[in-house]
Amino acid sequence: MFDIPTPAFLDPVFSTFREAPLAIRLAMIFIIIAISITLLAYFSILRSRFRGHQRKKRLDYLLPKIDNLIIDEILANPEVAAGTPADRIQLNLDGFQELPLHKKWARQATTNRIIHFRRNVRGNAGQLLRSLYIQLELSKDTMKQMKSSKWARKVRALTEFIDMDIPVADVTILPLTNSRNRELRAAARHAYIKLSKNEPFKFFDVVTDPLLMWDQVELFRIITTTEDISIPNFARWITYSSNKSVVSFCLKLIVHYNQLPAVPAVIKLLDTKDHYLRADAINCLGKLRVPDVEDRLVSMFTSQPLQCQIEILKAIGRISSGRQVDFLKQEFLHSTNFDLRKAAAKSLVKNDWVASQVLQELLDTADRESLLILKHCMNPLIKY
Amino acid sequence: MEGIISVLGKAYENTLFVYGLILLLVYALLALLSMLAIRYYTRKNTQHQLETLASSPMAPGITILAPAFNEGLTIISNVRSLLTLNYPRYEIIIINDGSTDNTMEQLVEEFKMVAVDFAYNARILTQPVRKIYKSTDPAYSALMVIDKVNGKSKADAVNAGMNVATFDYFVCTDVDCILHKNTLLELILPVMQEEKKRVIAVGATLRIANSSDFDEGVLIRMRPPRQLLPRFQEVEYIRSFVLGKMGWSYINCVPNVSGGLGLFDTEVATRCGGYDHSSFGEDMELLTRMCRYAHDNEISYAVRYIPRTLCWTEGPSTVKIFSRQRTRWARGLAQLMYAHFSMFLNPRYGKMGMIVFPFNFFFELLAPLVEFSGILIYIYLAVTGQVNWPYASMLLLFVYTYAVMITTIAILWDQLSFRYYKKWWEVAYLCLTPFMEFLLYHPLIVFFSLRGYYYFLTGKKSTWGNMQRQGFGKKKK
Repeated sequence: MFDIPTPAFLDPVFSTFREAPLAIRLAMIFIIIAISITLLAYFSILRSRFRGHQRKKRLDYLLPKIDNLIIDEILANPEVAAGTPADRIQLNLDGFQELPLHKKWARQATTNRIIHFRRNVRGNAGQLLRSLYIQLELSKDTMKQMKSSKWARKVRALTEFIDMDIPVADVTILPLTNSRNRELRAAARHAYIKLSKNEPFKFFDVVTDPLLMWDQVELFRIITTTEDISIPNFARWITYSSNKSVVSFCLKLIVHYNQLPAVPAVIKLLDTKDHYLRADAINCLGKLRVPDVEDRLVSMFTSQPLQCQIEILKAIGRISSGRQVDFLKQEFLHSTNFDLRKAAAKSLVKNDWVASQVLQELLDTADRESLLILKHCMNPLIKY
Repeated sequence: MEGIISVLGKAYENTLFVYGLILLLVYALLALLSMLAIRYYTRKNTQHQLETLASSPMAPGITILAPAFNEGLTIISNVRSLLTLNYPRYEIIIINDGSTDNTMEQLVEEFKMVAVDFAYNARILTQPVRKIYKSTDPAYSALMVIDKVNGKSKADAVNAGMNVATFDYFVCTDVDCILHKNTLLELILPVMQEEKKRVIAVGATLRIANSSDFDEGVLIRMRPPRQLLPRFQEVEYIRSFVLGKMGWSYINCVPNVSGGLGLFDTEVATRCGGYDHSSFGEDMELLTRMCRYAHDNEISYAVRYIPRTLCWTEGPSTVKIFSRQRTRWARGLAQLMYAHFSMFLNPRYGKMGMIVFPFNFFFELLAPLVEFSGILIYIYLAVTGQVNWPYASMLLLFVYTYAVMITTIAILWDQLSFRYYKKWWEVAYLCLTPFMEFLLYHPLIVFFSLRGYYYFLTGKKSTWGNMQRQGFGKKKK
């Protein structure tokens, strides 16, 4: 149909191709494809390394300059040291204006350094870094990233806003908290808690999918490091939330903030059918050192799965009221499970201010295995 | 008679054609899937996440298990390397598996270890534990040493460590491996970020340490190995981890988490009986059993891989030691296939039974046999003058260029994502290796695999053998 002219020296190749069986023809085509892809790969490697080298060279030149300017203008600023509020300090931006901030990579490098320093300082210096970020109009790039259709860019922008504490309107963040992309959804929720001025914990009420272990780590960091955030009584979600991961996370926050008013709600959680959640509740009560709950824990002990039983023994050790020494001794001597015996022994040792006599008695009379468990728990070199 | 031979020959030819075609397609698919997996990883994971986790009180605890047998040359620097890991909550358990050199004495002296009365709970049966040591120096409070009778396998030593492990996750490594300081942070992230499944194992890329620079057990300069044999292994590792394992990870079909470095769910690993000390491929065997246990107990599980290199290990630099290693691996694979053959094409075991196991059977276990039979028939046809040389050369060239392409793509993914190696010529050096691999390295692998299968079939007694390490404790000047 089409008669494509070919150089004469290729004629034998084309004639071989035309005369070859199908398998050989395919092989010939794939040889050309494989060679082309291999060459393309080499070119991509070369290009990527060249670009990386150029980037490194540029940054090696620029980063020390940025660092020096930040140190001189902010960290070593005598007004910061004197405790002058950040909003009253006039920043000298002349040095920064000499940076090639008209180029995108330079603006990003400056933003990254400001964020790096801000993560390591608090108070006035942190506020002044934020002020520098705003005055250099670096947030404009971040706003552009927020409008990108790529989720990774939006996540990066949200993280930047969180780090720089730049307020973002709820109407911008809220739709993202229901994004189909999990990473973006999580980043939007973190941003909402950190940046929203209206009920930052509101999303606990509406979240239906589980908070992953990683989400909890991020949320915990944001909640516990955000200044001027009003911490609610987390008992509210312990009582009403149907999302188990939210309840579990709130238990951790209750422990962190030592929220004793939440104790009745946590005690009610002991009746939950989910034994993972029950174990978390027992753990929380132990860490809050609620002595009144000891009798309840002991009375429910026999009907619990192993995980909850271990948590009960640990909680009694943490509470250390001295009232449950007999119970602990009984579990240590008569339980058939190694982990229970070890947990009971550890708790006995933690109650040693009243149980020293019992411990001595056990040391004198225990069989070989029991003696080993006791010595293990009493040895300060062994942590677990 | 001639008719039967001709029919058999045709059937063999067609089978081989389909076999080769599927293998080539699988590799092309893996190249694509690995690209997607690596792209997702690089977009999702940031340095900031690692910093957040490193300072979080909510980070899950991790136990590091590192068995040591006659590692006197490198033990101190390697333990020091483990002690520098960046993680808020971890313990290190070194298992001295009845070393006959001064490994134990060095540990006791260097880290001020004393024997303690430890309540040892033998959930998994092992050779007897003689003593357990803890350090009196608070700087080494995370360190514990188990001194046990030699169990003639790494499996027995790690099982003893699992009996002592405190935390829900354990990282199994070889004490001669050098880990990146963020290893624990990187390995635990996939566990914490998984939405619906329980992550029972996570692996990461391993590299050959032979020509890299280390100082006191810390990597300071990564280089491709200068010697040819370790360099072949480096290229093979890049292809296997960055392209193969990442591709499989994307569809939750990881067949193996390397014994050099892997994070495991302690509960699942313990409940399924720990490592099998009679296996020659104990790492793959454990993962297969863990997956099997998860299926049998209706645990929706995942096994993940990460493309970042987190572990450097000394690769065999002589053919003799290399042959021992590969023969053992092949024997382990044959053992595994035999022991778990009931999973083969068994829908009850999901992807494990329908994808991972059949792939390993056809394209890992049978591949050396297919290749060997192919070579024999090729020789027969050549001798009897039945080979069409121009066409045969064309097919050979096709396989050769395809193999080079796949390895080059693996190097490309690795370079685009992480830009390892300082100099461009070091990468060029690596890129040239696949051209020789097909001709020099691959025949060795086939031969040692066949030997491994032979040992498996004949039940030949085999020792673990000493790696005869050079050590990389000091920076090379």
